[in-house]
Amino acid sequence: MAFLDNSGDIILDAVLTDTGRFRLAKGDGTFKIVKFALADDEIDYGTYKSIADSGSAYYDIQILQTPVLEAFTNNTSTMKSKLISVANTNLLYLPIMKINNLYESATKLDANRDVFMVGVNNDSMTTFLSTTQGLLNGNKPADGGNYIRVDQGLNTNEISPTLIIDPSLREDVYSVQMDNRLGSLVSPSGVPTNFSFLDDDNIAHYNFAKDNNYVSDIQVETDPNLVAGLNTQMVIAGPRGTKICFKIKANNDLASNDFLFNKLGSTFTYVSDGGSTAAVKFIDSTVRVMGATTGYAIDIPVRYIKK
Amino acid sequence: MATTFKTLLNQDITSTKTLLHEAIPITGSMVSGTYSDNNIKDYSHAMFQSVYDYPYLSSSANHIFDITAGFATGSGLSASAPADIDLQRKKINMYNTLAQQLVGYDANGDIRAFDTDGDFSSTAAFHSSSVFFNFSRLLTKDEMKKGTFTITFVTGGISGSRGGTTQIYGDYGAATSYKVNSPAGEYGILYRNANEASAGLLPKGLIFYQAGVVLMTGSVFADMTAAVAGSGFAWPGMSSDLNFATASFGTMLNSTASITDVSNGVRDQLYNISFNNTTELNSTIYFCRANNNDFNYSANPTYTSNSKIVVKDNNPNEVPKTYITTIGLYSADNELLAVAKLSEPLKKTPNDELTFRVRLDY
Repeated sequence: MAFLDNSGDIILDAVLTDTGRFRLAKGDGTFKIVKFALADDEIDYGTYKSIADSGSAYYDIQILQTPVLEAFTNNTSTMKSKLISVANTNLLYLPIMKINNLYESATKLDANRDVFMVGVNNDSMTTFLSTTQGLLNGNKPADGGNYIRVDQGLNTNEISPTLIIDPSLREDVYSVQMDNRLGSLVSPSGVPTNFSFLDDDNIAHYNFAKDNNYVSDIQVETDPNLVAGLNTQMVIAGPRGTKICFKIKANNDLASNDFLFNKLGSTFTYVSDGGSTAAVKFIDSTVRVMGATTGYAIDIPVRYIKK
Repeated sequence: MATTFKTLLNQDITSTKTLLHEAIPITGSMVSGTYSDNNIKDYSHAMFQSVYDYPYLSSSANHIFDITAGFATGSGLSASAPADIDLQRKKINMYNTLAQQLVGYDANGDIRAFDTDGDFSSTAAFHSSSVFFNFSRLLTKDEMKKGTFTITFVTGGISGSRGGTTQIYGDYGAATSYKVNSPAGEYGILYRNANEASAGLLPKGLIFYQAGVVLMTGSVFADMTAAVAGSGFAWPGMSSDLNFATASFGTMLNSTASITDVSNGVRDQLYNISFNNTTELNSTIYFCRANNNDFNYSANPTYTSNSKIVVKDNNPNEVPKTYITTIGLYSADNELLAVAKLSEPLKKTPNDELTFRVRLDY
């Protein structure tokens, strides 16, 4: 997409997304706009106050001059960072989300790459074992093994983690988006879940509320003797909110044929932390976890592997 | 409770219809000359001829209009002994095909002829022999704008080098006076000038606005034949009875000239065509209102550093700021159905209230 002309009046470039056109074409009444959100996708707030010597009027001069791209029609390519409405204007901290790879060995990323491996067939899992660091059992998730955990909270050393996060900033509902051609989401105990909807790009959208198999509060410890020990398992330094844990079940098509591996992937030599080494086919993808309350999102890199 | 979505209320959504007009100029040199007729597509059936804006074998070419000709079943030409019965049938067929669509049938179920003044109740003259210009939807869009159409022919010159005087025909006065008794929508009458139009004198053709069809009566070309009589020019490859300089239009239509031959002659005499088209834009307007307490924080990963908001300058009492670049319109199940981008970031603080007017055209 080109940049929009920003030399004159402010203009608004509006398009239907591919999903919008798809629903319009279906004619079943699903094309109904009922709400809106705002986003600041192009903005790098790191440039704020980068020209501080000229006075406060120039603090955001670089931000205001940021060129803006034309609208993408792909529904998953835009609205990446939403703006948040909070009544309290005196907030100094906002919660973030991070992959918790410290909690236990089962939540760690791959030892050599910042990615979660997903073994798609039995051969992959017997070669590398489900105890391999960062390897999810995509063949039979219910058999136990590793899982992905994402923690939410204020990641600052300036506020004690013994404090409880402001309830208005705690994520009680999460949305998870992943490529439905490659896999589906299952609970840490291996129970499969139906997606909320599948968009035109085969991206499955799952929604999880708190107090089910996926989302729960992060333990808040106030006993000083236990706080230090708990902190070694936490990636959020300050007050903690909720966590979402899940596994990935690889699509049966990945296990039964190589079509998608040949089309979307390649091969590499997988060296597991257990010492096993083998050439495997792989497809790189991401799983996007987004908080429904704050709109904060992270993309978790996953690599589907097949021996 | 922090939120990222805001519900659109009934008063935030409205519908409207806008008419969009474009000026369409078609020069005669493009129709005949510039591309050495490589932009002219003839068909083996020889029922009409297509004109493109570029050599038609190129993928860049756009079909702009078709030319055909014909005469009515009850006309003198149809009653005369034809030089070629097959060609005569095709010309009658083309006339009737268009007449069925554009003026329909009379009380007896017979195909009506194109009436010169649009009054079907009278027995006034009708356009017995005509040339038709069928404009493509690419040009006319939803309809041709009334009162904007002109077509100009040269009345002299020699083959390949048009010259002499020009004669303009247009739908003068049609912006406020047009006919609605056609099954194909509204139509106007073509005249040589505004005075004749206001007097209703000497109608020279018809223009069907929604159908995008223009009819020029055969007498137009007969007039030009008279204007250049004696100049003796002829179009290449045409015998003397196949060009307007030395033969009447009626003779041409009734001779061994095919519709393609007639179309070639008309194109050679065409100087330009000009009109405005009309596109009906049905729009839904969404007023996205960001009140003072809305959208003052961001989930942008760069918005915080160690969870601390960078634009607050380490001061909780500093007003939060965000910079809006994108507006997303969502369904109830949070699917992004439409997206709008601002041409430059817009600052939002609790001291501001903004209303974005997002218009979706259908």
